[in-house]
Amino acid sequence: MSNTEAGSPAPGIRVVIVDDHAIFRSGLKADLDPDIVVAGEAGTVEDAVAVIAAVRPDVVLLDVHLPGGLGGGGRDVLAGSAPLLGSTRFLALSVSDAAEDVVSVIRAGARGYVTKTISGAEISDAVRRVAGGDAVFSPRLAGFVLDAFGTAPADIADDELDRLSARELEVMRLIARGYSYKEVAKELFISIKTVETHVSAVLRKLQLSSRHELTRWAAERRLL
Amino acid sequence: MTTAVPRPPLVRGSDRVIAGVCAGLARHLGWPVRMVRLGMAVAALAGGAGVAFYAWLWIMVPTADESAKRNARQPASPIAPAVSAPFAAPLAEPYAAPLTAATFPAPAGAPGGTTGAAAGAAATPLAGTVPADTWRSRVTGMRYGKEILLGAGLLLAAGILIARLLGVDVPLGTLIPVAAILGGAAIAWMQLDETRRAGLVDKTKADQAGGWARLAAGLALVVSGVLVMVSGSGSWEQTWLALLSSVAVLGGVALVLLPWGLKFWRDLEAERAGRVRATERAEIAAHLHDSVLQTLALIQRRAGNETDVVRLARAQERELRGWLYRDPGKEAGQLSESIKTAAADVEDSLGHAVDVVTVGDCAMTERHEALVQAAREAMLNAARHGGGAVSVYLEVTDGAAEVFVKDRGPGFDPDAVPADRMGVRESIVGRMNRHGGTATINSTEDGTEVRLRLPRSAGAPAGAAATNSNGEAKL
Repeated sequence: MSNTEAGSPAPGIRVVIVDDHAIFRSGLKADLDPDIVVAGEAGTVEDAVAVIAAVRPDVVLLDVHLPGGLGGGGRDVLAGSAPLLGSTRFLALSVSDAAEDVVSVIRAGARGYVTKTISGAEISDAVRRVAGGDAVFSPRLAGFVLDAFGTAPADIADDELDRLSARELEVMRLIARGYSYKEVAKELFISIKTVETHVSAVLRKLQLSSRHELTRWAAERRLL
Repeated sequence: MTTAVPRPPLVRGSDRVIAGVCAGLARHLGWPVRMVRLGMAVAALAGGAGVAFYAWLWIMVPTADESAKRNARQPASPIAPAVSAPFAAPLAEPYAAPLTAATFPAPAGAPGGTTGAAAGAAATPLAGTVPADTWRSRVTGMRYGKEILLGAGLLLAAGILIARLLGVDVPLGTLIPVAAILGGAAIAWMQLDETRRAGLVDKTKADQAGGWARLAAGLALVVSGVLVMVSGSGSWEQTWLALLSSVAVLGGVALVLLPWGLKFWRDLEAERAGRVRATERAEIAAHLHDSVLQTLALIQRRAGNETDVVRLARAQERELRGWLYRDPGKEAGQLSESIKTAAADVEDSLGHAVDVVTVGDCAMTERHEALVQAAREAMLNAARHGGGAVSVYLEVTDGAAEVFVKDRGPGFDPDAVPADRMGVRESIVGRMNRHGGTATINSTEDGTEVRLRLPRSAGAPAGAAATNSNGEAKL
């Protein structure tokens, strides 16, 4: 199941949609802004890995729950596309907002996470952001991060990976409260670029931290 | 003792002479330290009972630091919490004092019994004041019933020893076998109870070895007790012979019955697993029928009205999500749950999406109820006047519980709200102030955000419980 539109160097962002529901794929395709070109689609883990390797899109819109593979869904696609992680960015999509689904795909390498109820404009915005190398945090993902890392700021430098700095905590809190990046920047008197830097730093910590508490938090929610 | 005030936990104090045991004990019991120290010294003279009691408490009772460290996970000593908080409630007034005092020296009866039994003897009349019929319901209902039973057994042993010292003839020849039979049966039955519990929870093989050992120990005790009683002579040679022959008979019977028993057991397990699966499937089918199919039917009938369809879909989504992912036992009565319920109500009544994100959690109290009410009012305002989705964020830290309600409406000037408009002024700001909290409203042209903050009051009993659950939630 792959209708690859090879050739025609598109000016916009090339995306691959990976979701096992054909209705959702076509709906999403119709919702995306015109500057975002859907270069391929896939419905299973195996198809997705093959299509992504062939098309090499800028962004993959990846459903967390997928048939096939080792039963890990979106995580298996990320594992199968590991060599491409430098050039292709993954944005996770899910109907579920359960912590285990969200955090496991983020830790597997996705650059952001949004729920499927998101509007067309918002998802186009998220795709552009991810394509630009930034991270996309929904309020709920920010909530999970605060829950996992705790709400006390880091005071010493050597546990840098294991805790959020005071500024990063502020940014996460505002995102959890429903602020957009623009509103966060305005509230904290910083530029949007700085907000994006903070969010990317948090994403890196979430992906790389082997913090004892985070591991335990994850284990308790059966993430590992 | 007129009111059942929760005692401070039994921990070793910092103002120590030796190990802080007396100071901790005095604080826990509410007695003067000097009296406790004097009592301990006098008890030490009585055959060393006080020394044994002191050493026992030294080993079993944690220091304040240790206790705080372990507090989040488990009570450090099973005795310490048993004597403090959980006791006060189930006890009838007149007996509260004697019983709490009596359980204390009870374990000291062990060393005391062998040396002079001063502590044990002093405690026995107190324990006797509790009527026998109320005993059983209490012991089974208590969390630390096992420890209390053990203490009672030790007290009994101490009493028998004292009686012997005083010259009363106690027929030990019959008492010991009877005690062995009772003890063995108790061990075996405890095992039965636990295997049933384990069967429901999970079946780890690691527990099984201990279980078998316990069953074997129980059986050995019962068999030897019966043999000694039946043989009557008490002669070791005869007892050995009888034991050997009975073990041989039992072994033969077991050899014959083992394959049959194993097969029966496996069939039973397979059938049980099948039944569990069938029940699960039936439950899922019933739930889907009751909720999802009904909603889908409703949506088809109202297909023309977009607001209705969205509202139905949101409500159904929320319900299904809660059923699939929520752990009802864990979250019932928690602040986050109440906030989510309030958000769901607003969503249902106004048809506006309300997204809730929570970080940390704590148990509900009366003050938190006010916080939830104020938050509900803020959500109602946001859904009525704001445009788009309403974002609700709850954060519970050690210091306070905070709720943020944000909308994307045109905004308004909080100072320009007329005095007769009760919504904001009374239901949000006034309510929060009355309960020691604060409410600030920040409105710009991009939207309005209501910030509610409720500090955790120091000293309230609910505050301590909340710290625990919060600590667990946050890790």
